Amino acid sequence: MNFFLEGIYQTVGEHLPMWLMMLIAAVTGIAVVLGMVSLIAMFSVWLERKVSGHIQCRYGPMYVGWHGWLQSIADGVKLLLKEDMIPRDADRVLFMLAPGLVLAAILGAFAAYPLTPGIWFGDIDLGVFMIIAFSSMTTIGVVMAGWASNSKWTIYGSMREAAQVVAYEIPLGVSLLVPVMVAGTFNLREASALQADWFGMKWFLFTNPFMLPAFVLFFVAALAETKRAPFDLPEAESELVAGFMTEYSGIRWSFFFMEEYAAMFLMSALGAVFFLGGFESPLTHFAGELFGKELVVLGASGAKELNFAAIPYHLVAAVTLIAKCFFGVFLMMWLRWTLPRVRIDQVMTMGYKYLTPLSLLCVLGAALWEAGKHALFAS
Amino acid sequence: MDFQGIHDRLVAIGAPGLLGVDLPRKPDPKNKKDKGRAGDAFALVDAHKLADFLEVCRDDDRLKFEQLVDLSATDPAKDAAELWINVQLLSLKFRHRLAIKCLLPKSAPSLPSTVRVYRASQWHERECAEMFGITFVGHPDPRNILLPDDWVGSPMRKDYEFPKEYHGISCE
Amino acid sequence: MTRETQTTPAATTRVQRLGPGEVSVDIRTPDLEVNFGPQHPATHGVMRILMRADGELVTGAQPHLGYLHRCAEKIGENVEWLQYLPYTDRYDYLASMNNNLGYSLAVEALLGVEIPRRATLIRIICAELNRIGSHLVAFGTYGLDIGAFTPFLYTFREREWMMALFEKICGARLTYSYIRIGGLFNDAPPGWFEEVGRFCDVFEQKWQEYVDLLLVNQIYVKRTANIGIISREMALDFGLTGPMVRGSGIDWDLRRDMPYMCYDEIWRSGAFKIPVARGEMGALGDCWDRSWVRVMEMIESIKIVRWCLDNMVEGPVIADIPKTLKVPVGEAYVGIENPRGELGHYVVSDGGKVSIRTRVRGPSFCNLAVLEDILPGSLVGDAIAIIGSTDIVVGETDR
Repeated sequence: MNFFLEGIYQTVGEHLPMWLMMLIAAVTGIAVVLGMVSLIAMFSVWLERKVSGHIQCRYGPMYVGWHGWLQSIADGVKLLLKEDMIPRDADRVLFMLAPGLVLAAILGAFAAYPLTPGIWFGDIDLGVFMIIAFSSMTTIGVVMAGWASNSKWTIYGSMREAAQVVAYEIPLGVSLLVPVMVAGTFNLREASALQADWFGMKWFLFTNPFMLPAFVLFFVAALAETKRAPFDLPEAESELVAGFMTEYSGIRWSFFFMEEYAAMFLMSALGAVFFLGGFESPLTHFAGELFGKELVVLGASGAKELNFAAIPYHLVAAVTLIAKCFFGVFLMMWLRWTLPRVRIDQVMTMGYKYLTPLSLLCVLGAALWEAGKHALFAS
Repeated sequence: MDFQGIHDRLVAIGAPGLLGVDLPRKPDPKNKKDKGRAGDAFALVDAHKLADFLEVCRDDDRLKFEQLVDLSATDPAKDAAELWINVQLLSLKFRHRLAIKCLLPKSAPSLPSTVRVYRASQWHERECAEMFGITFVGHPDPRNILLPDDWVGSPMRKDYEFPKEYHGISCE
Repeated sequence: MTRETQTTPAATTRVQRLGPGEVSVDIRTPDLEVNFGPQHPATHGVMRILMRADGELVTGAQPHLGYLHRCAEKIGENVEWLQYLPYTDRYDYLASMNNNLGYSLAVEALLGVEIPRRATLIRIICAELNRIGSHLVAFGTYGLDIGAFTPFLYTFREREWMMALFEKICGARLTYSYIRIGGLFNDAPPGWFEEVGRFCDVFEQKWQEYVDLLLVNQIYVKRTANIGIISREMALDFGLTGPMVRGSGIDWDLRRDMPYMCYDEIWRSGAFKIPVARGEMGALGDCWDRSWVRVMEMIESIKIVRWCLDNMVEGPVIADIPKTLKVPVGEAYVGIENPRGELGHYVVSDGGKVSIRTRVRGPSFCNLAVLEDILPGSLVGDAIAIIGSTDIVVGETDR
């Protein structure tokens, strides 16, 4: 939101006290993140239904709007109007708190998501770390929900979630270390800028032979982390009714859904930024050449000025990243509607016995490759 | 083997409890009232030796009835003095069946359980017990299976009267 | 309403001194009693299984039935012979044609009527088509139990066509009452046999899709192989029939071994085979074997249907049967090969309009009994797969 705040500062900034500026920054940030997450969730739900429908020889929603594009809004209204039920024996406070915690965690993770190369919520140097940390915080909410519901199925679901996230956190983080090491930064925006090229040949995926296995490992771990099929054991509907969400209804239930889709989007964003070039694409490149890239430039007088001419470039960049993210989301949906679910012991085996050592091997290999490259070309 | 062959074999090995046979027959042309009997041939067996009889049927080399297909009961009429126990045996090896019928007095409807011979009869016996009020002595799990645990009466008996209400729910 | 206070037994701690300075502490938490059903997505209806579980490990299971008990046998003693036919539709509602057939054959065994050949052939076509439909549901919902949603809708796509075929021939989609005592309700409409032929052609291609998409899918194989193993001896002891017994490697099919109607003729012409599991993906008698048998049976049923289409004759479709049927005195047991196993009808007549006893030996009921023995020791996720692989229809277990 720096661009927006810079604008305010440029026009009225000098007359405003510091605390008010901070307040505006916070409120706009939260509003934009909240709006963005809701939009992503709504679009993803619609996409999921369409994708699953077409995979299954049917159309999916068709009646509400063109090809049912308003279906998610209709569903949202329905969820809002539904009776909010809390089981008699549930722990009321925790039960009500859990969905909020889950949603709050994922909203927090969005702080590190760069909207465009020049517009961001927070330009966090440890962006990757922050996203992973916040998105694994959702587990606490899930365990809380399972415990507070006071049902045996929900306990199963939340325990599975906890075990699964612990198992897959390691390969997820370690496989991300490979591109981070190549990039030399945890910052999403900077990592993306490093891959700028007119034909995408600088995408990290192509820079190092260990990148492709690392990307596959990352994708599998991300599936497990976001509890998507074939790792959807915490909510396995044929085994645990609905897992940790069994007792939830209405808007609280939809919070879990929003979290799931937002987490999918964020994981895809991490993959897109660190493997698939982030904002960069041929189109972004030429837009950058044409319109310029800097939003805030130093004017003739030496003061900061806003450069509105660069906005098209930023739009193209933002759309590029979002498109890549949704490509990842689409892949996850495709897998979900194709594969059966694995068993809990198979999930654990895969996480601890295969993904973790393999991701460590990838890091080692990539490090040796980079060191070798450095030694060869530096001399 | 056909029924006659099975019966001869049963007699030859001295199967315990074998009382006789019940064969289908054509109507007697002389007796107008006799309508004959259609259908299957049965081996009549003493109910109290049913389990031993089944064991012999299962283990004999020439019979080899590996499966108990069905075990059920019949209440032929309201004023009948006896219930029937009907057992269907099947041999996969020799591809023959044997239908067994036991007569069980309604006044003392109790017979030894056959679960030790065929585990298949476990649930059949439970169903029989609750539906006809038969006691299978030595059954490992004598709970109701289809009816609620607190159901009163034996619904498949011909003299069963439908309850007027069940747990405050009117049934009329 | 008073609130029940639940007392949870506390965890027990067992401390064992192994030697000097060495202590083994074993903390055992009490087993969880999980009420699986009666409203649970994987119970295929309203069955309830009381499971005891130590974490993810099932330590005990006790099926509770009766939630769908509709007194079918008692009704049989209160309605006329022909009136009972619609009730047979309702026990195994996925294979109503086969149920109609089983009951009709049992009553015909007492009546001693001769069924016209055209009626027999159409009966076989209907029974085999319904077997395909039933196995499609079994296989599709089994995928659903394992977590694969899409194959379920693919199988229902073909089942939809099958139901449309039945709708054309008898007007109903699920509860047909088409096969009557003495023959059939009516003749097939014009063009029906040609459409059945087209269905067979298309189905053979689609069948390959299921095999590729689900049956040999690595995750599916890993999930279903080596679990829920039913040994040969166990299968015989528990009186399992149908795909359950063939899944344990026992070569037994009533259509071939105790033929009824003209199945022996079809068998002798070599038109179909009996698929028997060989334990290809794991131990013999596991869940994968059972699902393999079902999938293979579908294609064999198609062959039987083809044979009947090729050998179709003209003629009447119902024997001369009076409207109010009086069945001669007697009692008969007739077992036929239903999609789920041997469906037996034991009917007793005293010569009147109403039967003395209509005993229904439902295959699901007998196949379900084995659960108590094979569930303990499996994981909760496996338990779902095992229950699914028995392919029960609760309408039939409870009747």
